[in-house]
Order: sequence, then C-alpha cells, then structure tokens
Amino acid sequence: MKMKNAIEVENLRKEFKGYSSRSGLKGAFRDLFTRNYKIVPAVNDISFSVKQGEMVGYIGENGAGKSTTIKMLTGILTPTSGRIMVNGMNPHQERERFVQTIGVVFGQRSQLWWDIAVQESFRLLKKVYKVSDAHYNEHMNHVIKTLDIEPLLDKPVRKLSLGQRMRCELAAALIHNPPLLFLDEPTIGLDVLVKLKIREFLKEINEKYNTTILLTTHDLSDIEALCQRVIMLDEGNIIYDGALNSLKEKWGEGKELQFQFLKDPELNAVQNLTRGMPVYWELDEKKMVFSAMIEDNELVSRTIAKVAEAYQIRDMKINEISTEEIIRNIYEKGSVS
Amino acid sequence: MFYGSMFFQYLAQYMKTRLQYRADLFVEIFSDLLSQAVNFIFILVVFGHTSLLAGWSRNEIIFIYGFFLVPFAVFSSFFNIWDFNERYIVKGEFDRILTRPIHSLFQIILERIELESLFGAVTGIAIMFYSGIKLGLEMHWYDPFVFLLFVIGGALVYGGVFVMLACISFWADARTSIMPMMYNIGNYGRYPVDIYNKAIRFVLTWILPFAFVGVYPAAFFLGKREWTFYSFLTPVIGVVFFTVSIFLWNQGVKKYRGAGN
Repeated sequence: MKMKNAIEVENLRKEFKGYSSRSGLKGAFRDLFTRNYKIVPAVNDISFSVKQGEMVGYIGENGAGKSTTIKMLTGILTPTSGRIMVNGMNPHQERERFVQTIGVVFGQRSQLWWDIAVQESFRLLKKVYKVSDAHYNEHMNHVIKTLDIEPLLDKPVRKLSLGQRMRCELAAALIHNPPLLFLDEPTIGLDVLVKLKIREFLKEINEKYNTTILLTTHDLSDIEALCQRVIMLDEGNIIYDGALNSLKEKWGEGKELQFQFLKDPELNAVQNLTRGMPVYWELDEKKMVFSAMIEDNELVSRTIAKVAEAYQIRDMKINEISTEEIIRNIYEKGSVS
Repeated sequence: MFYGSMFFQYLAQYMKTRLQYRADLFVEIFSDLLSQAVNFIFILVVFGHTSLLAGWSRNEIIFIYGFFLVPFAVFSSFFNIWDFNERYIVKGEFDRILTRPIHSLFQIILERIELESLFGAVTGIAIMFYSGIKLGLEMHWYDPFVFLLFVIGGALVYGGVFVMLACISFWADARTSIMPMMYNIGNYGRYPVDIYNKAIRFVLTWILPFAFVGVYPAAFFLGKREWTFYSFLTPVIGVVFFTVSIFLWNQGVKKYRGAGN
C-alpha cells in the first residue's frame, strides 16, 4: 500500500502587516496620520510533507513561526500564499469539514467548560463531532483508562490541577478519534510523572491507530522520547528537516568533561593547561564544577591527562553533549550544514 | 437539523453551568425580577409627565416602549457579542472556536447565551397589556403570530447591527468603544420617528434601522394604518441586515490574525 501524506505544504507563506511607532508625543501625533507600515513574513515560503503515522517535532525559538504554521495547518489562519493540503483538504476553505479530521491541543488554552464536570464537556464535544455511542464507548473507554482520568470525570474543570486538566484536554481532543493530532506545547508546566504518562499515551495511540502527530514544544526531552523526525524553524525558514539521530551525529560530536578538584584552582590556570587546543572551559562557581567542552573526541584523553597531572581530582564525569546544547549551537550559528 | 440539536445541547450546557451555583442563581433571578418591577414602575412614572407627542398619546408611547423591550430582550439573550474583541480576539479564544466543526458565529452565539435577559420580555409584555387595556385595543386572532414575526425581525435587526460592529475587530485592533454608543442610538428607535427631523428618521430607518425594533412594528398593533408598510418591512429588514452581517463575518474570519503568543 502506498503511504498517504497527511500534510503537504508547498511554499507556504504568511505575512503580517505591522507598524512601528515613533517616539515621543510628536511621534505619536505623526503616527496618527501616517504610520510606518512594514510587512513582516512570519512564515517564509516553507515546504515539507508529513506521512500518515509519523510523529514530528516542530521546534524553534519564540517568534520563529511555529504557532503561525500550526494555525495555518489547522485552518485558523489563511495563508498569504502557497499550497497547503492536510488530510486531503484545504484547511481554511473547507474548515468545518476539515476540523472533523483533526485534534488540537493548545497547552495554554482550554477546550473544556470551566464550571461544569469534565464528562459534561466530553458529552457535548461528542455531539459536536457527531460521534456515535458505539464508537465513543469503544474508543473513549480506552483513552480514559490509559490516561487514568476516570476519577476526574465528575469534577468541574476549575477544581483540577494543571496535570489533571492537561490529561483531560488530551482526551477531549481525541473524542472523534482523529487521524491527525496537533499538540502545541502539551507538556508546558507539567511535572515529570504526568509528562511521562502523556508521552506513553501518545506513543500508544500512534501505534494503535497510526495517528499522525505534529508536536511543538520547548521541552526537547518530549521530542527525544517521541519523534524520529524534527523540523527546525528559524525566522520563518526551515533550517533543518530530518532525523533527530543524524542531527545528533552531525552536531553531537564531542564530549563534555566535568571535574571537581580537592583544592580549587583558578579558572585561568585550568584554561592555560589546554592552551592551543579547541577546548572551551566553564566554571559553575556554586558547586565548583569545572566543565570542558571538547569538539574533537580525540582530545578527550589528552585533556584528562593534562588536568590529572596538574591537580588532584576528586570527581570526574564524561557527558555526551545534550540535544539542547546541539540546538543552541545551531541557533547561534544560524544554519545547519 | 444538526444546528437545531446543537442549539439545545449548548442550552443544556448553559443550564448545567447555571445550576452549579445554586445560591447565585436564586439571588440573580430574584434581583432580575426586582429590577424589572422597578423598571416597570419607573417607565410609568417617567411617561406620566409626557402628554401628547407629535400626535402620539402617552399610552401609545408607553406601548411602543413595552414592545421594544421584547425584541431587545431576545437580542440580549442570544447576541452577547458586545465584548467580542476583548473576549475572543485579544485573548485568542477565537482559535478554539475555529477548530470546531460548527460555524464560528453560531458557536459564539451558543456559548454566550444568557437566558436571564428574557425577563425583560416579561416586563415588556406586561407594559403592552397595561397600556393596551388603557387604550382599549382589541386583540385579533392573528396578533400573537404577527407579534412573534415582528419580535424576531426586530431581534435580527439588532443582531445584524451588532455582528457587523463585532466584525470590525477582524480588520482593526480598535477597542470596541463604539458598542456602548450603539446601545444609546438603539434607544432612539423606541420613540415615534416622526418627532425627529428627516435626516435622523432616514438613518433610523435605513442605515441603523432601530426604528424597526420599536415604533414601526408597534404601530401595527396601535392600529396606525399609515405605518403598515413599515410594520411589515420589519422581518424583511431584519433578515437583510442579518444576512449581510453573516456575509461580512465570513469575510472577516479570513482576515483573522490570531492573538500573538
């Protein structure tokens, strides 16, 4: 069977018209009559496609265009130009038919009715999405059990904790068992246990129903746990689209060494030890941990040897460079390649 | 069909929310009834000092006011969109609306139902009966049906105008200070329009047709035959204005910029 693309995007562009205000009272008066308009592209001619059943992480700094893209993919915003096809439909043109085939969770916004019991919200959403009793029972009983929200169903939403609410939100987005799920910051502000539960759950529905999941998050551990593929955005452009692993292989070379010494030396003195080598030192003054970033793996043992010769080591660790650091490096450089 | 059932589903949701706060509900119903009673007496006292106004008797003016209260109550129960800009655009709640498979305006109407405003209609009808009896008006078998038609027409006129105003938010970030002003202008429709000069009368008939929420339809029940044409124009104007407002709304949704995060 040929794999169908859940999302196809070609030269997608969204411009916003903004204006800058002039300074001072005089400037304010001038603004009244003529404004300095400027066209800002929030999403700048991007193209990509996502296969049915894929889990894709969509990452970027604040203002990189993540939300704008998601809003175009979900039919909330109209693109300025470009072609966009999600579940075989144009999201904005056929909005009401289209949203029947997607689930959306916005981390900071609630789908549920604040004052009434969770199950009442579910009941109404079930009617809104025209889900039959048989489908609802079969599918939702499972969802409710896996997310462990059975005891929450008769409580009003305002009395739930953030973690409890988030699990209910996720269940609410899945009432019509959509083949495509958009998650915008689904784990923001949650504690580790809830995060783990949500990740487990997402993996499970992905396997069970072949649900496509597009996820934006600031928490890269979400992406590491769930997504084989990442799309990285910077200033409205895609700067990386591919496997998370190859990103690591390419950029994650090198190690981080952490030392603690019996007698704390000066940072300068330590830096002098590796003079001339591409080793970058940092000092955590609170814990007196000296860390060395080494890009070339071959220099690791030479660095250790030099440090061990000069000072008495109390503790030492060798760490892989984390995904977070890799991504920070990429953003500092501005491009992959 | 689907929209009809959705209406009742959302209505049930609204009732459940209300019943969550029992004490609150009773206090509110009590204060609503009280304020309507005060309103009723207030209207009688205020209009007690007017006599003839351009050929309209005191009781006729009271009757028009009573009629006006009914479509206005229906409008207030179902079109709570005066804070659309703050509540939906600025806070970004409109995003959520757009991810559900129901027309966005219909969803907002459903979400913002406030049935307690319907108490105003009770006062309105009471006033109409009070002044109707004083005027010795006769009830015909068709009056209730015509009344219903005119009430719906009048509510649609109000709805149409306010939906159009809400649409401004799609194009401009302007604050909705225009809304309270419009409520004021709406009040002029409950006085006989022939007391105003021609320009104002024209505006209240064709531009901001608030006269169709008060004097024109009420004139029919007062037996003013010279106004019959305008009376029966009420549902037409209502449907036209409301249709145009939906069209504008649908255009506006395409311009929606979303709230910045």
